[in-house]
This record gives sequence, C-alpha cells and structure tokens, in this order.
Amino acid sequence: MQEKLIQIEQEPPRGDWRDPHVEFHKGAMCYSAAAKNLTYLGLPNPRTWQPTDSNWKLPPDWKKIILAGMKERLKKYRSFRLFMDICVRCGACADKCQFYLGSADPKNMPVARAELMRSIYRRYFTLTGRIFGSLAGGRELTEDVIKEWYSYYYQCTECRRCSVYCPYGIDTAEITMMGRELLTLIGCNINWVMEPVANCYRTGNHLGIQPHGFKDSIDFAANEASEITGLKIEAPINRKGAEVLFVMPSADYFATPHYYTLLGYLMLFHQIGLDYTVSAYASEGGNFGFFASHELMKRLNAKIYDEAKRLGVKWILGGECGHMWRVLHQYMDTMNGPADFLEVPVSPFTGTVFENARSTKMVHICEFTADLIHHGKLKLDPSRNDHWRVTYHDSCNPARGMGLLEEPRYILHQVSRRFHEMPENTIREQTFCCGSGAGLGTDENLEVRLRGGFPRANAVRYVKQKHGVNLLTCICAIDKATLPTLLEYWVPGVEVGGVHELVGNALVMTGEKERTTDLRGEPLASAALPASGEMEAVHA
Amino acid sequence: MSAEQAILQRWIERTLKSYPDGMAGFLGEERDPFRNPVGHTLRENLTTLLQELMGTMDQKRVAPALDALVRMRAVQNFSPAEAVRFVFGLRQAVFEVSGAVPDSLATRIDELALMAFDQYMSCREQIFELRAKEIRRRAQYAAFEEGEEP
Ligand code: SF4
Ligand code: SF4
Repeated sequence: MQEKLIQIEQEPPRGDWRDPHVEFHKGAMCYSAAAKNLTYLGLPNPRTWQPTDSNWKLPPDWKKIILAGMKERLKKYRSFRLFMDICVRCGACADKCQFYLGSADPKNMPVARAELMRSIYRRYFTLTGRIFGSLAGGRELTEDVIKEWYSYYYQCTECRRCSVYCPYGIDTAEITMMGRELLTLIGCNINWVMEPVANCYRTGNHLGIQPHGFKDSIDFAANEASEITGLKIEAPINRKGAEVLFVMPSADYFATPHYYTLLGYLMLFHQIGLDYTVSAYASEGGNFGFFASHELMKRLNAKIYDEAKRLGVKWILGGECGHMWRVLHQYMDTMNGPADFLEVPVSPFTGTVFENARSTKMVHICEFTADLIHHGKLKLDPSRNDHWRVTYHDSCNPARGMGLLEEPRYILHQVSRRFHEMPENTIREQTFCCGSGAGLGTDENLEVRLRGGFPRANAVRYVKQKHGVNLLTCICAIDKATLPTLLEYWVPGVEVGGVHELVGNALVMTGEKERTTDLRGEPLASAALPASGEMEAVHA
Repeated sequence: MSAEQAILQRWIERTLKSYPDGMAGFLGEERDPFRNPVGHTLRENLTTLLQELMGTMDQKRVAPALDALVRMRAVQNFSPAEAVRFVFGLRQAVFEVSGAVPDSLATRIDELALMAFDQYMSCREQIFELRAKEIRRRAQYAAFEEGEEP
C-alpha cells in the first residue's frame, strides 16, 4: 500500500521547454480578440475562435507571414536582433519574473520566454541553425509554436523586472512586444487589448465613453469635490488657450478607487489656481496599443500632441497612469514629436523648469506636486490620513520605465504620518508587478493574475503583519483596477488608493469647510494620534 | 538531525516534487522569503503543520498555515487532487523515517486532508466570486458607454 502511494506521487512528466505543446485552461488564459474589433482597426484575419479550439483558423500562408515579419523587424529594430544574438544563458534573469515565481512554471523564466522566439530565430535566420536545426538550438516553426507564443507572450506584463538583472541589458519585455506584434500579423490577439484599442480609436478612451459622457463624469466629480470642501470647484473641458492640458487615464473618471484620485487632482488644481483644461478628445492617458504593436501605439498616442496643438496650450501635465508614461518616456518624442509648438514646462507657482521634460513637454503630476510641496506652496494636514497606514507599490512603468522613484515617496511622507516601505528587494527598480499589466488584467485570466501577483501580495502581507498597513498606494490605473482583487484574495483588509487621493485628503484649502470625512466619505481619525505625532518607522 | 526534522525535510521535498521538472532546486534552496515566495510559503507552513500534528493541533495555528498552502496551490494549475495531495505526503515521510505511521497521527493526517479539501473548495469559490465581481463592475462602467457604434 505504502509503495503504491509513493508511485502515484511521482512528479508529473511536464516535458522540456523545447516541446511547444501548451494546454489552455479556462480561468487562466485571455479570450481571443472579437472579429469586430480587428475589423474596426483594419487588422488581419478577423474571425471567431478561442485559444481552446484545436483549429485556430490561421491564414494559409501564416508561416510565411511570421517569418517575413520577423525578418522585417530584425532589420528595423537593432535591439531585437541584438537581444536574439547576445544572450549567454547565464540565468541571472531566470528567477526574477513574478510569473515564474508565482507559477513555478519554467517557461515563465524570462530567458525561457525569450528562447521561445530565439529558437525560431536560430533555425531560420542563422547559418548554423539552418544547417544543424535543433542541434544549434533551433526549432521548427509550427502551429504549436504559435499557440505557445500566445500563451507565454500573454503571460508577460512587459514589466521589465528581468532586464534590471541582465548583465547585457536584454529586455525580455521587448521580445514579448515583438512576439505580440508578430501574432497580430496573423490575427492572434486578445480581446482585453483589442477592445480598448478599438474604443480608443473611435472615441478617444478605452471604454468608448463619448464626449457628453466624459463631460458628465468630470462635472460630477467637480460637484463632489465642491461638496466635500464647500468651495466652488470647476473642471474646465476643451478650453482653448489654457496654459496646461491635463491628461489622465480614463479609469480616473469612471472607476473606483481611481475616482478619489481625480477628486484629489481637482482640489489641488483649484487650490493653486492652475490655468488648465482637460480634453474630451485626449480623454485617455492609457495606451493599450502599446500592448499589441508599435503601429497601434503610435496611432493612439498621436491624439495627445494633436489636442495640445488644437487647444493652444503651453505644456502638458499627466496624471497617475502607468504605461502612458512608458510610452511617453520611451517613444512619444520620436513617434509623434517633435512637439516644437509647445514650450518647455515651467511651474507657474515655483518657477521650476522641468528640464527632464524639455523635449516631450509633458510633466508627471507627482513631479509637479512634489515641487509645489518642496517650495512650501501647499498647506498640508497629514493627520487627515491617520486612519491609513500606508505603503507604496512602485508601478512598473513609472518606476522602471521612467525612473520616477523619489517623488511619490516625498509626497507620501508629507501627506501621511504612517508610511512603511515594503522590503527593499520588492520596491523601486526591483518592484514586483501587479501581475495584470500589459492587457492581462481581465477576469477570464484571473488565475494567471493571482499567480503573477503573488510575489507582490506576499510583500504587502509582510508590512500588514509587521506594521498594520491597510492602504497600498500606487500611481497606475491598471494597478488601481486590479490590485483590489489581488489583495482581497491574498491579503484581505488592505485597500488600494492613489497618491493624489491622500494629497486631496491632506490639502488645507483656502476657505474650505471643516472636513469630517476623507474623500471616500470615511470619518477622519485625527483624534487617534497626537497632533504633532511622531512619524512611525519608515523602513520595514 | 532529529526524527522530526528528518520527517519535515522529506515532507518538503515530496511537496516540491509536485512542481515541474527542475523547480525543486530553486524552490527548496533560495531562502529569501521575497525572492522565493512559493518556497518560503511551503517551508514555513509545512513546518507549522508538522509541529501541530505532533503537538496539540491548535486550530489557531493549523487553519492559517493550511490556508496559506492551499490558497497558493489553488491557483497553480494543479488538479484538485494534486493541489491537496501534499497532505498525504506526510504519511510517506513519516513511514520512511520511522518505519511506521502511528494510528493517532494517521487519523490527524486524514483530518487535515479533509480540512484541505474544504479549504480548496472555498478558495476556488472565492476565485469565482472575485471574477463575478469584476464582471459586475465592468458592466457598471459599461453603462457609461452610451449607444453602441454601428
Ligand atoms: S513579466 Fe516582466 S519579468 Fe517577466 S518576462 Fe515579462 S518583462 Fe520580464
Ligand atoms: S540575464 Fe541576460 S544574458 Fe543572462 S540569461 Fe537572462 S537574458 Fe540571457
């Protein structure tokens, strides 16, 4: 009996990575893009299919298309060819991906994820591979390889955590991007990316909210901010000649907890008297095009400069969005610039010249607010956030994608008295991804998200147990949309909020009525701590 | 190494073997709890469970340890049986070290296995509820979307 049980317990034969066969499980995969969305965008091979089907209805010449697409991109993007050539398989990146750490699936090692593509490159684009095939690490391009790409390039959030550790600077995120571009050529997309892209192309934002819906939402928020403060707060829309165009992710005006961050922005802008406007056309900072192809990213991104030009503003201010900043920082200038019709951004209140934005002309709200605080332009009462014990999740794109590490922390220290960092190897450049970025944040994919988000949640649990942390702040709309589900599963009792939500709570506004609740309508707990209470330990 | 330590070691090794080829090394060796959350969760909670199984079965310690293990395995692409099989691995570990499994311990292991099934079911239900909640939220947002495009 004992012997038999031991037999049963043998490890299941999961084979080696060269075998491209993958099983798709419901609950742990993304649905295919609906034909209407591909048609709307003029993309190839719109059809009805799902990854669980055995026949994916690929175009008859799919293999030719993929190889031609690879050839073209190897020529066009030097980094792609370099990344295909130079990996020495040292393994430094292997255990750095949160999907690998959470799923314990070896194909989720960044080096393996890249190898799925590299083996095809070797087989078809190197001399030794063409002659020696699998002996030279090459693999045949088969339909199974396409299915494998779909599975694993949609289990990567393009977060770049792995690239931080690679001695050669190989960025597996860029290999994933190439994988997704190639899949786009034969119509193998996911709906959670293509629907927002189609909507955005049509109405300017991911949800397809039309201009009057946009205006209603913004007016509603302005009214609510007015009620909370007893002031008359307005939010100008499409106002020509404003100094600043403010662009935010659309979730800020239709989703919670993002919405409280929007209230925070509006209160801040009112208090300092910023001459600004929002736009119903550039009503989306996010750019899901980035998750499919360079071409779609460029199409969607163009509206920001177009609208800045039309409205005649001097510079652009951007809200708490993740990949908007990655697109801006890495691509916008070369893709849709130069924005020579704009001026180098200068804060009208402090005179600070944002040199870092000299070419893009676009400033991050955290840079802007940190500068205001640094120059003593804001009166803040951090005790209004005493009901929160706060930690900060570095959203991958602002942190790794553009190096925005200190500003949000500087603000949080000024607006809250109970701030606790998560462990050093889980924050800043080493931050763990939420596991739901780059288009993976859909409900049908929840199990993959819970696996990928486990390392992040594990660090949150640590500060919850050690310091009683009950609020995870972040500056990304995808984080705010998906981390609540993640935390409900892994660390119940920790809420998610934005940095400017806490700014809105703490901001002492001229002529405001006494605040008894925070922006969520929760009673303030100011009495709980002494007025000049000591700051709690800052590091975990 | 005490018998209990030897049993724990074997129990951990058996549980690690349920992960794909080549994973046991990393999961078993990397001791930083943040660099290796899966390995850390396994080690920490199997240790607690063994202490309790050999001790007083304090529910305040057993329930959270079992929850941490099952909660993780409930999302890791295991079948329901594979997800909770680790509990029975203890029986083999004890047998290998001591040559026999005392009846009282065998009963406790069975009890623990039943608790693990319950916990597995409740985690899976929670996943479905969380999915449903996201779908509902999405439907609410979609109410903003006035008038579908032709
Ligand atoms: S998810 Fe992040 S760490 Fe993992 S392979 Fe992709 S870019 Fe690298
Ligand atoms: S760290 Fe860089 S060189 Fe080393 S295996 Fe990973 S991608 Fe290759």
